[in-house]
Amino acid sequence: MAALDQTQVKEGVDQETVDAVREVSTYKYGWDTDIEMEYAPKGVNPDIVRLISDKNEEPEWMTEWRLAAFERWTKMDEPNWAMVHYPKIDFQDQYYYARPKSMEEKPKSLDEVDPKLLATYEKLGIPLKEQMILAGVEGAEDMPAEGRKVAVDAVFDSVSVGTTFQDELAKHGVIFCSISEAIREHPELVKKYLGTVVPVSDNFYATLNSAVFSDGSFVYIPPGVRCPMELSTYFRINAENTGQFERTLIIADKGSYVSYLEGCTAPQRDTAQLHAAVVEIIIEEDAEVKYSTVQNWFPGDENGKGGIYNFVTKRADCRGDRSKVMWTQVETGSAVTWKYPSCILRGDESQGEFYSIAITNNMQQADTGTKMVHLGKNTKSRIVSKGISAGKAQNTYRGLVSMHPKAKDSRNYTQCDSLLIGDKCGAHTVPYIEVRNNSSRVEHEATTSKVDDDQLFYCRQRGMDEEEAVALVVNGFCKDVLQALPMEFAMEAQQLVAISLEGSVG
Amino acid sequence: MLEIKNLHVKLEEEEKQILKGVDLTVEAGKVHAIMGPNGSGKSTLSYVLSGRDGYEVTEGSATLEGEDLLEMEPEERAAAGVFLAFQYPVEIPGVGNMTFLRTAVNAQRKARGEDELSAADFLKEVRAKAKSLKIDADMLKRPVNVGFSGGEKKRNEILQMAMLEPKMCILDETDSGLDVDAMKLVAEGVNALRDEGRGFLVITHYQRLLDHIKPDVVHIMADGRIVKTGGPELALEVENNGYADILAEVN
Amino acid sequence: MALPEVKQTATEARLATLTMPEAGCTRAAREDALARVLEMGLPGRRDEYWKYTRPDTLISAEQPHAALFHSDEPLLFGNLDRLKIVFIDGVFSAEDSDDLELEGVNIDRIEDICCKDIHWAKELYGVLESRGQSPVQRPLAALNTAFAADGVAIHVTGKPTKPISLIYRHASETSDAMLHHIIRVESGAEVTVLENGPAASRFNKCIEIDIADGGTLHHVRAQGRDHERRAATHMFTRLGQESVYKSFTLTVNGILTRNEQVIELTGDDAIAHVAGACVGDGDFHHDDTVFVTHDAVNCESRQVFKKVLRNGATGVFQGKILVKEGAQKTDGYQISQSLLLDDDSQFLAKPELEIYADDVACSHGSTSGAIDETALFYLRSRGVSVKDATNMLTLAFLAEAVDEIEDEELAEAIVNRLEGWLSRHI
Repeated sequence: MAALDQTQVKEGVDQETVDAVREVSTYKYGWDTDIEMEYAPKGVNPDIVRLISDKNEEPEWMTEWRLAAFERWTKMDEPNWAMVHYPKIDFQDQYYYARPKSMEEKPKSLDEVDPKLLATYEKLGIPLKEQMILAGVEGAEDMPAEGRKVAVDAVFDSVSVGTTFQDELAKHGVIFCSISEAIREHPELVKKYLGTVVPVSDNFYATLNSAVFSDGSFVYIPPGVRCPMELSTYFRINAENTGQFERTLIIADKGSYVSYLEGCTAPQRDTAQLHAAVVEIIIEEDAEVKYSTVQNWFPGDENGKGGIYNFVTKRADCRGDRSKVMWTQVETGSAVTWKYPSCILRGDESQGEFYSIAITNNMQQADTGTKMVHLGKNTKSRIVSKGISAGKAQNTYRGLVSMHPKAKDSRNYTQCDSLLIGDKCGAHTVPYIEVRNNSSRVEHEATTSKVDDDQLFYCRQRGMDEEEAVALVVNGFCKDVLQALPMEFAMEAQQLVAISLEGSVG
Repeated sequence: MLEIKNLHVKLEEEEKQILKGVDLTVEAGKVHAIMGPNGSGKSTLSYVLSGRDGYEVTEGSATLEGEDLLEMEPEERAAAGVFLAFQYPVEIPGVGNMTFLRTAVNAQRKARGEDELSAADFLKEVRAKAKSLKIDADMLKRPVNVGFSGGEKKRNEILQMAMLEPKMCILDETDSGLDVDAMKLVAEGVNALRDEGRGFLVITHYQRLLDHIKPDVVHIMADGRIVKTGGPELALEVENNGYADILAEVN
Repeated sequence: MALPEVKQTATEARLATLTMPEAGCTRAAREDALARVLEMGLPGRRDEYWKYTRPDTLISAEQPHAALFHSDEPLLFGNLDRLKIVFIDGVFSAEDSDDLELEGVNIDRIEDICCKDIHWAKELYGVLESRGQSPVQRPLAALNTAFAADGVAIHVTGKPTKPISLIYRHASETSDAMLHHIIRVESGAEVTVLENGPAASRFNKCIEIDIADGGTLHHVRAQGRDHERRAATHMFTRLGQESVYKSFTLTVNGILTRNEQVIELTGDDAIAHVAGACVGDGDFHHDDTVFVTHDAVNCESRQVFKKVLRNGATGVFQGKILVKEGAQKTDGYQISQSLLLDDDSQFLAKPELEIYADDVACSHGSTSGAIDETALFYLRSRGVSVKDATNMLTLAFLAEAVDEIEDEELAEAIVNRLEGWLSRHI
């Protein structure tokens, strides 16, 4: 990206050329780390909850909050309504806290790592120089930014290992730090907002998260501020048998704007790993938040061994009038995904958008979608979901559109399309539509089909092999969603689409 | 260059013989036209040569420069130099025309063991070639053939042909759905690609395209066979008298 | 697994009010059905499948009450040449019915199938209902199989010249009726079955339909005219190769109606179309629940459901297309739409696709909204009154569902009924 920007300056090439080159250029990055970890004992109980709270040097009120959540959680049942099947999780057989023993530890030799995994990373690409930061390269943080700036908070297993550009953001009054730091440094904000969008008792996984979340990111954008750069959290599960429970809290005060990116990976393990995150977003009057995710947790192998169980609760509360939220997600990883980024459209004229690509291959299962809860007048929502299923995978869109009696003159448009590749996979659509006033208009459309043979033949006649042709056609199928992503992620996502479908044809 | 011998083809799903022994040789540098009434098997021939599913070759052979085409996957045939300009170019929603072209060009280069074209070189070439076909920048950005007019689709086919530089170009009813101006534009594009190393097989129902793309040899196809072969004058004969006379004469 | 206590109690209370008919040869099937009821329990508010419809009054042990409804409207299908089979409060009335003689078809009361040694019927009773309990439980249907006191067995072997018309009259304000019919359409046979009438204060009806290869069944039903009645109906239809099933239902009244259609396409190239038009006013809750299973190659299914609601009426649509592994070349279509004439009405929908085969073209659409103001204004600018314009647009909205009726005469009867309703209510 940076190089291209320079090209533009040097040669005075017209913008269209630059755009076009961007469009056709490909990106390749790769990294891996192997770091010694420090663990808390396996299992979860009030002592572990206290220990996590203690490690994060939290105030008493936070510890109490966690303990109350834990108490609740012990009385809750795991949900079973989603169209996913997995062996029963032993919640006492997980580590709930792990952190790199030493931040100075340098990456070790890559020789011992499965070459297949390395290849994945090579193709996967992690967009920016935070590779170095994540790998613990000293001084990486102080290096000059290249191209468009993206501030990164990196969460490695249970802890945040570094946040970039904090100083520059502070000049604009933007707070971007790990949630553990926010609890210590900005307790008034955390106290005011934490748990107000996703209540402690919201659901089984969210409640567990409330008890044991170890770290995550915190963002506060003051009134009227347009965040000068994209903010990003990079999550990585590295340690074995370790659950990752991060908590993200984003507050966009009146008239502010922020674009937030989230990326995730986890290494290949034989045993399944648990990831139960909570993301809460509060959007005040006239503010806007864009939240983009590229989720590429390890999906398990071809036989369904290992992989991440991804049980995530994400919710945005459009509290103020004319507030706006846009969720964009590209879900290609995880063995099991259970995730419904939702929008509470409370403010009048508030808007929620959800753009999703979910790709499942081999034995992957995804049950994902959104909830659009229209409470305010003149609220608008739009859902565009593209599900692609290959191998023996199961892919479900599950969504709710609810128009409350007071949400007069509101609109929803939903488009859910599923694509099947191969005759052993499944694609399912489970929308709930609840309309309780007549001035609102709700439109829902869904289609399921296979990759078009004529399109594939056309591509192959022009010289592409079958896999390449499928990747191209599928990328086209996903275009509406890919376009909603920030540039850095769109590139990565396009490649991910191709990688995720490898081995699905022929 | 292209040698078809005694080619028999039936539909895979039903017992219907479509080609009943086609013999045809197209030399490098020559333009051959195949004319014939509807249902004579012209389009089937183009699909079988390019490797579309749904057809079964029961007898005969087709080779390009001595290589057996029928054994190859569609993309291998493309890399070997077979290009089919579709009668109905396929729409691919969401895939940018430019992305499509570049993927195709590089796939073929890779298959031939050549380096990928750099983004800048590729763009330069596309722009130049698009310009001569009056394809504007907007058309290059839009998804492949989606929302294109009939003329735009056919020009886009010729642009792909120009970019991919095939050895053997097969044009399947390229004139269908075109007005005179659009047809001229397409013909100019094709004529610009005529050279000594390249063979053309122009499939058409009407003679009018052949006014603009002058053939060296004209074949008349009927009921799955080539029934008559001649020079350009044969096309005029069809134009003046229709197919009935020729068919009657052959029978 | 033990039932939740609330459910257990409700189920036991309801069962205590019922007596299983002696019913000779269907006894075993009834016992099995009762076992299913005991295992599943009757529907409760927390059941996912009853998310949008409260089953309380459908299962309560209390005696239902519904005032009788009198109307001077002409009888539906009144002018039509048909074979009438009349039930009064769920009991067959020989007196009001025609002779059950018609070429190409044999009709018997369920209670007679044992003494007459009618094998096909004995082998079918409760079978399709039982198959229809998976993957979703339908306890009310099992309850019906166990306790239905009456019903007919219709064996179609040819192409009868006139439709078979099942008429359900309501005579007692506290009638609580259960009817169970079984229909077998033999290979190449074709029949039209009509149903209408309010039936009872509370009505639980189950029809099992088995259509053999190349058979055809047309079904047209009108429910209405009794404001206070409650009904839960089930149609379990199994289709053989190249068979055809086309069903249309008009609902214009009743406090609570739950119509379930469970369709299984088991033979290649079969076709199933189900449609419904519903017009609800006031204290009206209407639920169309459809479950179509594609288990064969190259089958077509189509669901078209339209609802017009006002004055606090509620419309529910739960529709599912399940395409099993190997059911390639499936063409599945589903549309559910509602027109809300005022702000108190609501539409709740759950249109689902569950697909395990790749060479399919399945789609569903659902919309909800108010009447098109632009169209309304356009009509008014041409001199049409608001009332007439609204009627016109409402009819136009429902037309897509009514158009699913193939027989013109029947379609006309339905449209007349609709027009009559609209002229009185809007």
